[in-house]
Amino acid sequence: MSIILENLRKQFGNTLVVNNVSLDIQDGELFVLLGASGSGKSTILRMIAGLLAPDSGSVKIDGVDVTHVDARKRNVGMVFQNYSLFGHLRVFENVEFGLQVRGLPKAQRRNRSKELLEAVGLTGLGHRYPSQLSGGQQQRVAVARALAYNPKVLLMDEPFGALDVKIRGTLRQNLQEIQRRLKVTTILVTHDQEEAFELADRIGVIERGQLIETGPPDVLYHHPKTEIVATFIGGGNILVGREDEAHIRLGEVLLPIPEQAPIHAHGSPVRVLFRPETVVTSREKFANNSGIYPLGQGRVLKRIFNGPVQRMVLEMQALAGVRPLKPAPQYGQPQTQIEVVETTTGLNHGVEINEVLWVGVRDYHILEPSGIKFLVYTDTPAENPPAQALALQLGQVTKGFVTLFSIVTREEELADRQSQIDHIQQVWQDRIPQIAAQVERGTLTDQLLLKIQSGNYDILVLDRQFTGIDNQHEMTPLLQYMLEQTLLPVLTVSKPSARVSHMLICTAAGEPGKSDVQVGGRLAMRTHSKVTVFSVLRPESDQAEKERVGDYLQRACRSLTGLGIDCDTLLGSGQPMEELFNEADKPAYDLIVMGAPLPQAPQRTHWPEVAFRIIRELEKPVLLVPMMVK
Amino acid sequence: MQKSYTTSIPIGRWSLITLTLFWFMLLILVPVGGLIQKLLASPVGEILHGLGSRTAVNAFLLTAKVTGMTILVNTIMGVLMARVLVKQQFRGKLLIEGFIDLPFAISPVVAGFMIVILFGPYGWLGGWLEGMGIKVVYSLPGITLATIFVTLPFVAKEVIPVYRQFGMKGEEAALVMGASQWQTFWWITLPSIKWGVIYGVTLALARSLGEFGAVLVVSGNIINQTQTATLYIHQQFTDFDYSGAYAASLVIAAVAFTILIAIQTITNRHRET
Repeated sequence: MSIILENLRKQFGNTLVVNNVSLDIQDGELFVLLGASGSGKSTILRMIAGLLAPDSGSVKIDGVDVTHVDARKRNVGMVFQNYSLFGHLRVFENVEFGLQVRGLPKAQRRNRSKELLEAVGLTGLGHRYPSQLSGGQQQRVAVARALAYNPKVLLMDEPFGALDVKIRGTLRQNLQEIQRRLKVTTILVTHDQEEAFELADRIGVIERGQLIETGPPDVLYHHPKTEIVATFIGGGNILVGREDEAHIRLGEVLLPIPEQAPIHAHGSPVRVLFRPETVVTSREKFANNSGIYPLGQGRVLKRIFNGPVQRMVLEMQALAGVRPLKPAPQYGQPQTQIEVVETTTGLNHGVEINEVLWVGVRDYHILEPSGIKFLVYTDTPAENPPAQALALQLGQVTKGFVTLFSIVTREEELADRQSQIDHIQQVWQDRIPQIAAQVERGTLTDQLLLKIQSGNYDILVLDRQFTGIDNQHEMTPLLQYMLEQTLLPVLTVSKPSARVSHMLICTAAGEPGKSDVQVGGRLAMRTHSKVTVFSVLRPESDQAEKERVGDYLQRACRSLTGLGIDCDTLLGSGQPMEELFNEADKPAYDLIVMGAPLPQAPQRTHWPEVAFRIIRELEKPVLLVPMMVK
Repeated sequence: MQKSYTTSIPIGRWSLITLTLFWFMLLILVPVGGLIQKLLASPVGEILHGLGSRTAVNAFLLTAKVTGMTILVNTIMGVLMARVLVKQQFRGKLLIEGFIDLPFAISPVVAGFMIVILFGPYGWLGGWLEGMGIKVVYSLPGITLATIFVTLPFVAKEVIPVYRQFGMKGEEAALVMGASQWQTFWWITLPSIKWGVIYGVTLALARSLGEFGAVLVVSGNIINQTQTATLYIHQQFTDFDYSGAYAASLVIAAVAFTILIAIQTITNRHRET
């Protein structure tokens, strides 16, 4: 009997415990909901059983909508977390209870309970009381009791949670056998990935009430789509590289991007996953035809012997500067580290600490590009200032992450601001599942800087009033300071804007990083916006210069078109500052992207004057992308 | 280490045990012994005559009636209250949970007085009821009401924690297995909260047998009509009829003692399962 969940949603007080969960479970399948405690998985189970009513959404069992059907009429078998056996009834009476309430004659009941107790291996224990049984035996009574009346589906809430590790293995096999034999559709909830791997036909990973990914165990292990699943299931190394001409650049190392890998924008961050067991180490350099992708040399920091395998942590010189997501870098750790698991029969069983080995990977996997992570500063969350409104809108459209950040100067304002910002978070949680809210006490500059450095955000969204550019006396406006200190693109917003549909990317040919095109492109791709790439030629430029710039714009546009963006180019001529301003002023454009060369390079562009003037006078959102100039 | 532990402690330990025993004797054994001794000193015929008198029999009968009704009402209402307080979420739930102990805290005399204010001939409800021919104060309903009031918390207080621990989970399991509310209550809930109910009822029973203050205020102490056993003892005592008082006291004490033994047995058995 199939189970279909559609947009299931449940809120307890202010917390969204189950967030739009949709799931399709096949007849006879053993589906495992895997998630940390408090992720909402038990709540889902209780809604299927009918012990809890969803706020919205529906539950279908065997094609019938049972959302509003009483628990007792759903014909569902459930094994509770602590079994909830009836302590005053003997084992066989426990098993027969479901039959008794269905009015089955005594003789038939007796036969059925005998049959089931035999199936779970408890023959002869029927006359005991639950308290006279061991934990494992109690669990089997719970299973027998839930199956006695041939339920349409079997729901199990952490059925092995209360048992000690030794007997879990046997009971798992026992359960799997019974489930296979009876072919009863089963949902099992657990936080134990080993259990999930061993039992599941399919696993659904759930986090903060959201179903992140579903799939067979091996697919989720080897080819996860998201970072959450990659890190939750199994150990692993996840490094963040950059796309570079169909390759991933990880420091000095280049790895080819496999054909079936998700498309990444040129120069955009690429997250590479390789499991510890796919890492190979050797005292000799790998041969070219070995089928191993070399990662350079690494120094052994740790080696843990574990019987059949040994785990090692290596510090990778060649991957210097590469940002690892896992293993999580410790504060102040300069080098990138990776984890290795090898069988101890290999050549390296005698490795010593600090020994330098050649390291390679046999296989790696590329995760899907993550949603854009917006950090928005807001001091009046309740009034929804322009920056906050735009960030929320973009977060929703791009399916990205939005962190609402607020700062108060006095302790007594904290609670009030917190409740305001929490309210916004709560209201938007449906539309932006990855929304977070935080209030800190301190000064704007310090706290914002700390916040940016502590998380990996893609864009800071700031209201114009906080950029400091309107203040004539300020030597270095906050905006410029932030760009220089954090190298994080900043989106300034002056007034509420309807939506982003056409972006103007102002670029200068031969500018260092092309990052203005990349960041703008990423935003355009996710907002489905049209893009115009624009550059200005000085009147005195010659034909060669003109061709070079035209060619540059064409290439920029091609790479954007490759991402499915509708793109055209425009080459102006005249005083750069005037031309830029005039073009940006055209009503067609609703977002302006500009590079901010850092440290300042006055001989090339008039940033920040141009940018500040556009921000001040046009009142359009402006995305400033810092670009390092050598 | 073990040895020094056992050798260094005895003096303190023995003096503590001695103190406890002394205290127990002083407060419980000696008075009970005194009662028995006084009773034995009185002529047997006089005792039997006292106990068999119409007044005594009526008083004991009244106490039995009041206790029976009190237990019946408090058992049903106590389980119901526990069920509501455990399972339902509503405004004012915390208030009720807090105030459920009020009858323990208030002096029974004050409680009785409150009933007189409310149900007396000139009370808010009493006048109206009297008009319909129902007499509450200075009659059986008033005495029962007062006894119910002072024993109100016993059952609910004992049942709530047991219900939380066993009842809820069992109820959910039964519900999923297809049992109706009624089946669930009789077959699962009640058996699993059984010991809580029994314990609460026993305590309420002991208390309502011995209730004096509230009943004194409410009953009017009319001999043969509204005089309960405890009031009878008090009466005999003030009338200097000591042997009657001793005999009736001993009956009450014996019942209480039996109840105590019962509680002990129950808790021991409960612990075993």
